[in-house]
Amino acid sequence: MATMIQAKALGKTVTTTSGDLTILTDINLTVAKGESLAITGASGSGKSTLLGLLAGLDVPSTGSVALAGIDLNTLDEEGRAKVRADHVGFVFQSFQLLPGLTALENVMLPLELRGDRNVREQAAQYLNRVGLGERLSHYPPQLSGGEQQRVAIARAFACKPDILFADEPTGNLDSTTGHTINDLLFELNAEMGTTLVLITHEDRLANRCARQVQLAAGELMICGSAAVQ
Amino acid sequence: MLAWQLLWRNWRSGELKLLAVALVLAVTVVSAIALFTDRLEGTLLEQSNSLLGADRLIKSNQPHQPAWEATAEAEGVAHTRVAHFASMVYAGDEMHLAAVKVVAENYPLRGYIDVSNTPFATDTSLIERAQGVPAAGEVWVDSRLLPLLNIELGDALQVGEQTLQASKVIISEPDASGPFSMMGARIILNWQDLAQTRVIQPGSRVEYQWLLAGDNADVASLMTWLEPRLSDHDEVMDIENAQRRLQGTLQTGRQFLVLAAIMGVLLAGVAIALAARQFAERHVNQVALLKSLGASSQRIRRLYCLQLLMLAGIASMIGLALGVSLQALIAQAVLSLYQIPMAAAGATPYILSLLSGPLALVGFALPSLWFLPGVPPIKVLRQELVLDKSAMGWQIGMASLVLVILVGVFGRDLLLGFTVLAALAVVGVLTAAMALALLTMGKKAGAQAGSRWRLALASIQRRRGASVLQVVVFATAIMLLLTLTIVRTSLIEEWQVKVPADAPNHFLINIAPSEVADFKQLLMDDNLRVEPLYPMVRGRLTHIDGEPKPDDTLDREASLTWTDQLADDNEIVAGKWWNEWSGADGELPGVSVEQEVAQRLGIELGSRLTFSIGGLIAEAQVASFRTLEWESLRPNFYFIFEPGALSDYSPMYMTSVYLPSEKKRFINTLLTRYPTIVVLELDRIINQIRDIVAQVSDGVGMVLVMVLLGGCLVLIAAVTGSIEARKQEAGLLRALGAPRRLLVGSIWIEFALLGFCAGLIAVLAAEALLLGLQVFVFEIPVQPHYIYWLLTPVLSAFFVSSLGALSCRQSVTTPPATVLREAL
Repeated sequence: MATMIQAKALGKTVTTTSGDLTILTDINLTVAKGESLAITGASGSGKSTLLGLLAGLDVPSTGSVALAGIDLNTLDEEGRAKVRADHVGFVFQSFQLLPGLTALENVMLPLELRGDRNVREQAAQYLNRVGLGERLSHYPPQLSGGEQQRVAIARAFACKPDILFADEPTGNLDSTTGHTINDLLFELNAEMGTTLVLITHEDRLANRCARQVQLAAGELMICGSAAVQ
Repeated sequence: MLAWQLLWRNWRSGELKLLAVALVLAVTVVSAIALFTDRLEGTLLEQSNSLLGADRLIKSNQPHQPAWEATAEAEGVAHTRVAHFASMVYAGDEMHLAAVKVVAENYPLRGYIDVSNTPFATDTSLIERAQGVPAAGEVWVDSRLLPLLNIELGDALQVGEQTLQASKVIISEPDASGPFSMMGARIILNWQDLAQTRVIQPGSRVEYQWLLAGDNADVASLMTWLEPRLSDHDEVMDIENAQRRLQGTLQTGRQFLVLAAIMGVLLAGVAIALAARQFAERHVNQVALLKSLGASSQRIRRLYCLQLLMLAGIASMIGLALGVSLQALIAQAVLSLYQIPMAAAGATPYILSLLSGPLALVGFALPSLWFLPGVPPIKVLRQELVLDKSAMGWQIGMASLVLVILVGVFGRDLLLGFTVLAALAVVGVLTAAMALALLTMGKKAGAQAGSRWRLALASIQRRRGASVLQVVVFATAIMLLLTLTIVRTSLIEEWQVKVPADAPNHFLINIAPSEVADFKQLLMDDNLRVEPLYPMVRGRLTHIDGEPKPDDTLDREASLTWTDQLADDNEIVAGKWWNEWSGADGELPGVSVEQEVAQRLGIELGSRLTFSIGGLIAEAQVASFRTLEWESLRPNFYFIFEPGALSDYSPMYMTSVYLPSEKKRFINTLLTRYPTIVVLELDRIINQIRDIVAQVSDGVGMVLVMVLLGGCLVLIAAVTGSIEARKQEAGLLRALGAPRRLLVGSIWIEFALLGFCAGLIAVLAAEALLLGLQVFVFEIPVQPHYIYWLLTPVLSAFFVSSLGALSCRQSVTTPPATVLREAL
């Protein structure tokens, strides 16, 4: 199977007032196309930092990341933005919906940025798919947490990304709602054959992924089945 | 297109409203003031020109060449002709030597003739604006001519061999103090009647005038063509040599309006900067999200710049429309109050207004927004990431640059702009330091205060940075308002001092020595104030120290007088007044000379001056130089002799008198008793000056209102920034059981304290700024304004707390459950 994400000797160090702080050390990770990977770990273990590096939102201090065969190290911020636009979708813990935009407009936004046609219809179709066909013109503050995350999922899948990064997608939701959202996420993932990288501290959610890795103190521990190289 | 959609969505979500309102206000201020000043300047020029009745006037003892008319028409310059002469007019047995003005169609080219059917009318409802000139066979007359000839309107009177019907009385006319006007009452008749009067004979003293009016460039071009063709008898008159003083008034008024405009723009600019800051803060997440969705920094910069440009475009149009309406309202008020239609504005103010929106945005908003495209995309995952938004230097630099551009282009007065900017820079730094000190004192006080006060002081401390900024902003706004109010008051007072309400408004000339005592009695009987009477002889200066005087100065007869009393508005600047003067060599009498004319003529102290008085020679030695105020409208003389020096030359006396409009009929009594006295009615000129001052004041009033609005907007902008945090705190406190009145009370106290600090600082700063302005720009005497010291902090506390409480009411009225849920 083709490789979708490849991280080599990845490390991240930040400078703080009390000296340099190493967040990640020597991470090597390969994710195949269509695979689902859960990254687990305690709070502060560096999960979000790793996600940021893998998705090209941040640059590593050492090592390299390749997304869909493109080495991000060779690109500047503009180039990385283009890779994200072409290949990547996100679902965030805090939903990251724009409060001034309706549900429909929030989903339309990435399509508009790409310059797609018929963005309204496409966005409406995805909102229908996540069960919000009746709430297109609602603003985020008028929606429940679960509904807001559905909008975020619709937005992520509307661009038909090759890779979906989900950062604690149910972290702000109660367990019942969280369960429904997870179902939806995995359903759509399966439907569209998207590569999924999921960050979570919930074992139950991690178990639904084909593979799991665990971060502890910035280092990757192998767990679950598999092909960590 | 995407930018347009984003703009619309941002607008809908309310994030752009404050920025848009501030922008609209900036453009409104600029456009209203630019348009108003432009129109005012045009009007004043037209009005000044209305004193001539034209833009240019060529006077001669010959009619102008008919061939010139074709060139004038080709240049697009309007023209008409006027003839002035003195002639006896008769009605039955009565007769009067009248100042006759013969006018042709289209007279006057500038200004108006106001007429009435009621003699001596002062009530505006009885006065009408003449449409055209008197019809052939009719004559318009001065009210005072009617009793002199013992006739009424509608009766006939005879001018030369022509009988004409007196159809209207003249209330005001351009060029009222023109040639022959000292001779007697004015009559105006139609050119078509001139030939039949047969008054003008070879050798008659007639002044012909050819009046011209049109665009500056057209008139200038015609004059260039005309000048080589003029003979020695022709003389060109324009407003500059006629009306220097109006220019002075206009210049000060203009400077003030420009100052107000700078302050208005600055206030709106502060509001724009604050609004842009809030906009930027709210958009950090949006930008991070857009980046995570694949938008590049360049794309984001482009998207935001486009949005702002469109916003600026729309705001400029709205601002311009508002500005146009506002100044039109004022122009309408000017028209209905003073019957003065304002001149149309040129294109420049419109262009300037449309440019001011984008300029204000670039200068005031862009620096706050510049960091936005640089927001790293990782911010979507790591909210705690601190961004580098250090744009302070940028902000000040850009804002100053834009102000300099605006002031340079718009105000044409860089000194004024730099004075204000420099003062503001100093004031800004001092204000921040004082605000910090005051707030630190508040911290100590807060520890011992009651719960409401403690809460308020804690809130100020918690938002220490924002509190200092708010105090600085309020203080700046109040300072600007205060400065403007005080400068306006001083300016108007200064103008009023120059032309006091009871300034003499009539000159009475040609009073015979034998009539002086009776004349004074007549004034006293009518309860009129008696001004000094000056003896006067007409004489021509011929030689200075035995040498013929230079040709180009004072080439006419001057009024010579003597007195031992130096008038209040005269000041000896060199030499000595009679009480200290020890006399001249060779026993010549002394003469005191006006300083400017002395300089022009090269006269020195001790110079021997030779005058020709009715063919007789008189000599005098220069004892002193005087300055005098022509603007005081009292009798003023270039030459004042030692008492009695000219008593051998049969002087006639002159004086000035203040006649309130209801006593205007006194002229009638006076002229009936002393027909030889000549009355010069200055009240018309004074009224004209008053009207102009009133127009400028009205404009200034309007500008003050807009600046006040700017101040409110700044306040709201500053408060809105903290609303979210306030809501959370209030929600939490209420959830913990704090009663609403505690929260409301603490908000009132918090803003009252900020307002009080701001007011206190503002009054100090305003005094400093005024000092600079008064000394360097307006040249007005400096004085402290104690009443403002007391009032400003108190009013500021009240105003800021009211507006603050109003802006924050949402934070205490939102149910705590909603607030806490939204916070999740």
